Parts: sequence; C-alpha cells; structure tokens
Amino acid sequence: MGANIYKNKKPLVLFLVPALIFMTVFLYYPFVQNILNSFQQISSLGAANKGWNDPWYENYIKMFQDKHMRTALFNTVVMMAVTIIGQVGVAIVLAVLVDNIKKGAKFFRTVYFFPIVISATALGLMFNLIFLYDKGMINQLLEMFGKSSLTDWKDSSHALFIMMLPVMWQYVGFYFVILVTGLNNISEELYESASIDGATKWQKVRFITLPLLRNVICTCVVLAVTGALKVFDLPWVMFPKGMPLGKTWLTGTYMYYQTFNTKNVDYSSAIAVLIVVLGIITSKVVNKVFKEADY
Amino acid sequence: MKKKLTALLLAGSMVLSLAACGGGGSSKEEGDSSETASLSVTTTFAGEDGNAQNYKNAIAEFEEKEGIKVNDSSATSDETFKARVETDFQTGSEPDVLFFFSGADANSFIEEGKVVSIDTIREEYPDYASNMNDDLIAASLVDGEKYAVPVNGYWEGLFCNTAVLEAAGVEVPGADYTWEQFLADCEKIKEAGYAPIAASLGEIPHYWWEYSIFNHTSTETHLEVPASTDEGNGPGWVEGMEDIKELYEKGYFPENTLSAKDDETFAMFTSDKAAFLIDGSWKVGGIAAACQSDPEDPSTLDTDKLDNFTVTYVPTNGEREATDLIGGLSMGYYISAKAWEDESKREAAVKFVEYMTSDEKVALFAQHTASALKEAPEVNEEDFNSLQIKSIKMMADVTSLTGAVQDVFSDECRVSTFDGMPQIVTGEVSAKDAVQEGLEIYAEQNAE
Amino acid sequence: MKKTKFSGCTVLIYIILSFWALTTIYPIVWIIQNSFKAKDQILADSFSLPLGNVFTLSNYKTAFERLDIFSAYRNSIVISTTVAAVVILLAGFAAFALVRYYFKGKGALQSLIIAGMMFPVFSTIIPVFRMLNSWGMVNTENLWLSLLSVALPQIAGNLSFAIVVLSGYIKSLPIELEEAAYLEGCNAVQIFFKVIMPLAKPSFATVAIFSFLWSYNDLFTQMFLLRLPEQRAITRLLNELTSMEGTNYGLMAAAVALVVIPVIVVYIILQKHIIKGMTAGAVKG
Repeated sequence: MGANIYKNKKPLVLFLVPALIFMTVFLYYPFVQNILNSFQQISSLGAANKGWNDPWYENYIKMFQDKHMRTALFNTVVMMAVTIIGQVGVAIVLAVLVDNIKKGAKFFRTVYFFPIVISATALGLMFNLIFLYDKGMINQLLEMFGKSSLTDWKDSSHALFIMMLPVMWQYVGFYFVILVTGLNNISEELYESASIDGATKWQKVRFITLPLLRNVICTCVVLAVTGALKVFDLPWVMFPKGMPLGKTWLTGTYMYYQTFNTKNVDYSSAIAVLIVVLGIITSKVVNKVFKEADY
Repeated sequence: MKKKLTALLLAGSMVLSLAACGGGGSSKEEGDSSETASLSVTTTFAGEDGNAQNYKNAIAEFEEKEGIKVNDSSATSDETFKARVETDFQTGSEPDVLFFFSGADANSFIEEGKVVSIDTIREEYPDYASNMNDDLIAASLVDGEKYAVPVNGYWEGLFCNTAVLEAAGVEVPGADYTWEQFLADCEKIKEAGYAPIAASLGEIPHYWWEYSIFNHTSTETHLEVPASTDEGNGPGWVEGMEDIKELYEKGYFPENTLSAKDDETFAMFTSDKAAFLIDGSWKVGGIAAACQSDPEDPSTLDTDKLDNFTVTYVPTNGEREATDLIGGLSMGYYISAKAWEDESKREAAVKFVEYMTSDEKVALFAQHTASALKEAPEVNEEDFNSLQIKSIKMMADVTSLTGAVQDVFSDECRVSTFDGMPQIVTGEVSAKDAVQEGLEIYAEQNAE
Repeated sequence: MKKTKFSGCTVLIYIILSFWALTTIYPIVWIIQNSFKAKDQILADSFSLPLGNVFTLSNYKTAFERLDIFSAYRNSIVISTTVAAVVILLAGFAAFALVRYYFKGKGALQSLIIAGMMFPVFSTIIPVFRMLNSWGMVNTENLWLSLLSVALPQIAGNLSFAIVVLSGYIKSLPIELEEAAYLEGCNAVQIFFKVIMPLAKPSFATVAIFSFLWSYNDLFTQMFLLRLPEQRAITRLLNELTSMEGTNYGLMAAAVALVVIPVIVVYIILQKHIIKGMTAGAVKG
C-alpha cells in the first residue's frame, strides 16, 4: 500500500505534538484533577477539598446504589438508541434526499443548520411553550380538533418522550452537515456508470452511496452516542431536576445537578469519570461494528 | 489550498491588527490607571436585578467624585456566579469589594479569613457603617462576627388577587388571619372555579416550605435546625410538611403544580385565575410589570389592574402571629483581606462601601423592601405605585422579621424536602422520612 | 447529468424535505417575532405575530443598554475565529498523522482522544482557571489576554471532536494522489498542505463552523474569564435575563436573535466550501 511514503516517522512528531500539548494541558491534566476530586470531599465547585473520602472509593459505591443513577443510565441508553435512529438515521435520509435533487439543495442545506445555532435556553423555552398545559400550542391545536381535556405533556407518562424529542430534533442538522460533506467524496462517475447499467435511484443509493458513506456514518454514530452521554442543556431547561419525580434523569443532567444543586462535587466528579469510561467503551463498540469499512 | 492559506492568513492578520489597535489602547489605559487608584468590585446588581441601573449610576457618580476607577465584574447571581466567586477566593484573584450573600454561601471564604470583619474595620475607621442598626446586620454562621454591610433586604408575604377574591366572595385577609380561615377561604375559591393557591410545588416549593415550618416554630427558635425529627423543632418541621400535603390533597394547588414551572403558575395569578401567592418583595416589580403594556416602562402602568393586587400577612396555625413575617437582610458589602492589607486600596475600599451604604443610597436601593438603616428617610408617596404603597403600609405593622431557615439549610440538605416535595405530597415518601433525611445531612455537615 | 424528471418520486422527496425545513425555520421565525413583543405578551400568546399595539422595540433597546453590543460582537468573533483557525490546523495535523502513520500506541491514543470529547466543561474549568491565574491571565485589565485566556481551553476542547471528524474523512481519501505527490519529491508536510488540505476542504470547513459555533456559545467559560464590561462577549446577553422574579422572555428573544445572526452569516459563507463539485476534478488524478 501507500505505507512507503509514511515510513519515515520523523514528521510524525511535528504533526501530533501541537495538538497533544493543548489537550494535555487543558483537558487531560484538569481531568486527572477531576479524578482525584472524586476521591475527596468537596462541597461546591471552587471550594477547597476537605480531605479524602472515607473509604476513598465511597463515591463509586454510592453510584452503584443510587436509584437515580440507575434511572439516568437507563434513560441514557434509550437516548442513545433515539439519537442513532432519530438523529443520524433521519440525517442520512435527508442528506441522501438532498443529494438527489437539483433545485433547492442549497436552500435546504442552509436551513437545516438553524436549530443547532439557537441556544438551549431559548429552545427550551420554545418547547415549554409548545407543550404548555394551559394554552400551549399543541393543546390548543388539539382543542381545535375537538379534544376535550387538556393533556399534561410533562407528567410521568409523557415526560421521557417529550424530553427526547427536542434533543433529537436539534442535532439532526449537525449530522446532516457532516454527512453532506461525506457525500462529496463520492464521484459523479460512479453514479453515471451505474445509470448506464440501468440502475434505479434506489439501487444507486443502496449500492453506491451508503457503502461509500460507511466511514462517515461510523463517525456520526460515535458522536451521537457519546453526545447522548453528555447532553444536558436542553433537557435541563425543560425538565430541571429530573422532573417529574426523578424519572427523566440523564447521565449529563444528573452530573450537572450534583455539581451545582446538591453541591456534591466529589460525587459528580465520580459520575464524570463514569461518563468518560462509558464513552470510550461505546465508541470502541461502534467502531468494531463498522469495522469492515477499512480500505 | 491557496484559498485556505489566504483565509488563514487573513484571519491571522485580522487578529494581529486588532491586537495592535487594542494593545495600543490598553497600554494607554494602564498608563492612566497607574496614576489613579483602581478598585475591583463584584456585586449581584446586574442583568435583570431591579437595582442594576441604580448601581451603574452610583458607580459613575463615585468615579467622578473620588477619581477612583472601578473595575466592575458584577453579574447575575446564579450558581455559576457563586462558583466563580468561590474559585476567585481560592486562587487569590478575589475582588477588593464584594456584595454577596451573608449566609451559608459565604462560609468558605470567611472560614479562610479572606474578608475583614466590620469590627476590625471600625478599629481604623470608627464611623464605618455607623448609620446601620447593628442588630439587623447578619452575623456570620462561621464565627458569629459581622462582615457584610447590608443595603436592601426582603420580606415574604401573601399576595392576593382581590378581583378573584371578590368573585369568590372572600374578604381580603387581615392582621389576624388564621389557618382555619385560610382553609375555609380556599374552599370557597375552589368552588367558585379558581385555583386558590398559585404555586409550583415541583419547581419552587420554597416559600410554602418556609412558612409551613414557621407556623410550627416561633420567632425565637425558627432558625434552629433540629437534630432530628423528634427533637427541638423536629416535630414542627414534619407537621409543616404535612400541612402542605393537606393543601395538596384538598386540591388547593393548581392541577399541574408538580410539573408546572413557576413562571406558569405566576402567570395564573396575574391573569386572574388564582387567588393567593406567597412570594417575596421582589415580586412586587413583577406584578406591576404584568400590568404594564410595556413591562420596561413604568409609565404604561394600568393602575386599575394593579389595584386588584394587594399583599398581606400570612395565615398562622401556631405560635407566630400572622404579622410575624419571614424577611431580613441576606446580602451585604464585604471588603477582602487582600484589599485591606494593601495600603493603597484600603482607603478606596472603605470609601466605596460607605458611599454605597449611605442613607441616600440605601433608601434608593431598598425602596419598599427592608433595610438596616437607623433612620430611614421619608417616603414620598408619589414615587411609588399602589402595590408598593400597600407593601410599605403592611411593613409598618409587621411585628417582626425572622430570617429564613432555608438559608442555613444548605442545598444538599434541602434535596429530600425541596426536590422531594412532590413525593411528600403524593404520599410516596412520608414527611417524617423526608425531613429526617435532610436533618441527618445537616448534622453530618455541621459535625466537623 | 441526471435527468430532471418531474416524477411522483421527486415530488415526494420535495414534500419530505420541505416539511423538515419548516420545522427548522419556524423556531427562528418564532424567536424573531417574539423579540418584538413585551415580555408578558409572550407567555400569554407566543405564537401570533406582533402586529399593531403589540409591536415594540423595547427589548432591543434594553439589550443595547445592557451590553456594548458592537464590542461584544468583536470579542466573540475574535475568540471564535482564532479557535476555529487553530483547531483546523492542529487537528488536521493530528488527524493526518493518526490515519496515515502506523506507530505503537496508536490505538491507545485514539481512545484518549475520544475520552477528551467526553469531558464536560465544568469538570475541567477549575484547574484550568487556576492555571490561567498562575500565568497572570485572569482578572486582568488587558483585553487581549482575557480573550486569549478564553480561546486556549476552547481550542483544546474542540480538538477531540475535530480530530475524530477529520480522521474519518481523511481515511476515505484515495491514497493515489499522495503517492503521486511523493513521487514528485514532496515530503510529508508538503503532501499535507498540497494534497490533503485541498481535498479535505469540505471537512475542514465543517469542523471550522462547528468549532466556531461551540466556542461562540460557550457561556460558562466566558463567565469565568471575561469579567469587565469591555471584555464581554455577545453570549453574555444570555446571562442578563433572569432575576429573583423570573425570566424576561422578551429580552431573551431579542438576545437570542442578536446572538444568532453572526453565526448564521459565517455558516452561509463557509457553506460554499461544503458544496459538492469542488472535488470532482481532483479525484480523477
């Protein structure tokens, strides 16, 4: 293969070192600090530590016993499935569709980007107003269609779904842009020669587009599941503190809660460590699933 | 490739050129400021705070009068802000003057001795804060010393929508409002088709929590956190939670109180759907704004609409009188030890605090809320709207102001009873267990 | 070229695409229309247009009073552009190395980079703050030091994501072009600038826009490091919205509208680089 060009490893240092320096100084070193914190007693963000926990792994045991943590993990796994299907899946469909039309492609590409740009607080407010119990947009529309009683969209039976829906919707544009970028790589000629052989549009998509997109899709899925572990701003604005009754916790929101609300920073550091570990594991799994794509 | 490189170069040169202009500018500034003294100040008078504009004006006046430059890093008080202040003290980058909470939030830096007490300041400046009534200045939880000079305070009372009360045939409560009368009134209001109480138990149960407990303690003992549910105020706390549960079971809270946000339930109150609202003095502005066609412009006030609101005393079913309210002065100006020990800053810092806590300034900031002034200046009724006047009248007959025990009951302790309020009122968790959990955490924290 | 048949299939495609477009455009419209309404009107009725009496400019007036909008824009743009530019360069280098070179510990390094993506910003901020403080970059009166102090951690934070996306893209570039360049006598660095960068331009543009966006929207870091009024960035407006009384929704809508505009502009500019057709010629090589 082309490995000959790159046998000389000297330039390797030049390429890797700058990025690594930045990441070590500003990410890894602070995170090591974070790991240490999870073994100590710290109350609020910024306070000094008050000595080691007793026993030092106390927070980790707490995590396994914490009922809310279990809810959070379960919900987050559901969220991962939602993001894979709802964000990446929908984005793939949209990207392929946009790729196959002539007029208006640019318009759609521009417009699909909008949701990511708006801050979570504003989006949260908008969705709160849409799902508002009294005079919310959805309830008003339903009333117009003749439904008599008001639905509380934020009660236990609907909460999880309503929380995941906006998160799902917001980031479709993100994966859409990445996928569109990937679609660039597929040469026109492949499609043309397939046309000459008599392939239909659907066949072209299935046998050319999707396989060649495999690497990019893999990237997207990795980003999606790791994102599900971290997401907190939009769910928090709509469903603060795991309302109602602690049913809507996600790993991201629960960690935020432990940092700022219950002022239990050492416990939240432990949760952060868990999130990182889960992130690495899931991304490895995803990569294995998509492995055959290596050229 | 060329395009990319040019883009990068352009960006780079843009940054550099801006840096050049900026660099030139800032070195000029620094040249100036090394001649005039400068003071770094952080307060919470920013953003939407009612006094943000007053504060900005006061700083401008001060800078002109004394020739001292004020570097103002004020920001809205939220959790990020508190974290930032604490981190500043930890890393030695604290401000010279700080306007901050005087309760549990200040513990960390008081414990480390990073701020000077008022007594220490008075050794050098005997007149410091002499216009304040010392008894009303909050003592720190750490060592009982006083550190922060207060400006404005707050009270919590019962706001009423008199239009709704009239429609339900209920009289506006007075100074001798009892719990039984309250329950009877709520029943009437409910039957008339309104929500008796506007509150979001899922988001902000704070005020009901406070008063329900207050109803079973007394003004002397209210701030004592019991060691367990069987000692001291313990049983009172449990009864308080059960009172709220009773109200919930009777349906006096809005239907969606467990999942609605506070803004929603407040809107119910201002749009004549609910009768009672327990909230603080800061809400007066909010209610007035709800009656203005342009919330930013007080001259658009619909006075007739505002006249439908009043504020009065909170019903009692215990030792306290209805006229004993929760309130106090929970924030104040600190001077950091760092500034105090710096000869060049000491004088400036003291001058600044004295300026901001002068009679004139305090009256401007405090208005219809509470203050620690020994002699409050006269109130000119024309400067205030009808709700503010009613508040001032109510405050005149208040028999006492007791601090809120939730201010000493830290966030961690509050989890089981605040965040867990929905579980308590639906019976999922017993009031006794929830209270016990919170008290245990408190005991643990204070055992050190 | 493909034939443009006006088939039922095409119509269906347009319907689906338009439906989604509606859902993405509507929030922007909603925010802009609400920014012209007084705050209490919004809670009462947020979905109608601000016509007649309801229309007001007071929210924007307040926004301009609270913050020096133009210097805030300048600050935000300086920080975010710096972040985007540095990220592209460094991540490009690193991604290229990770994809084309084989070395010991490559797998571990890749895991480490994924790990870097997972760290939430508030778990790293305190140590970062301490470090920046010991370098004298915190709480200074110097505007440029403050802006730089924000840019540095943000560059680091975006590197992981950038490396992941760029690696994915570079991996699928056919190696023939690089081989050709090598045969012409280019060393690795030259190959990077002459072959990889142009070919991967769409991916670089994508990474640039997202790094810009995330740096721009990162209010948390800014709150810690940008204190004085002249240092503040435009997202600071979003911090000015709440008080004891609750949120000022009118101001929020205006603030969001003001914050969102530059990003959309930058995206429209960069979007040109993401369009298909730019690389069609190069691949033939």
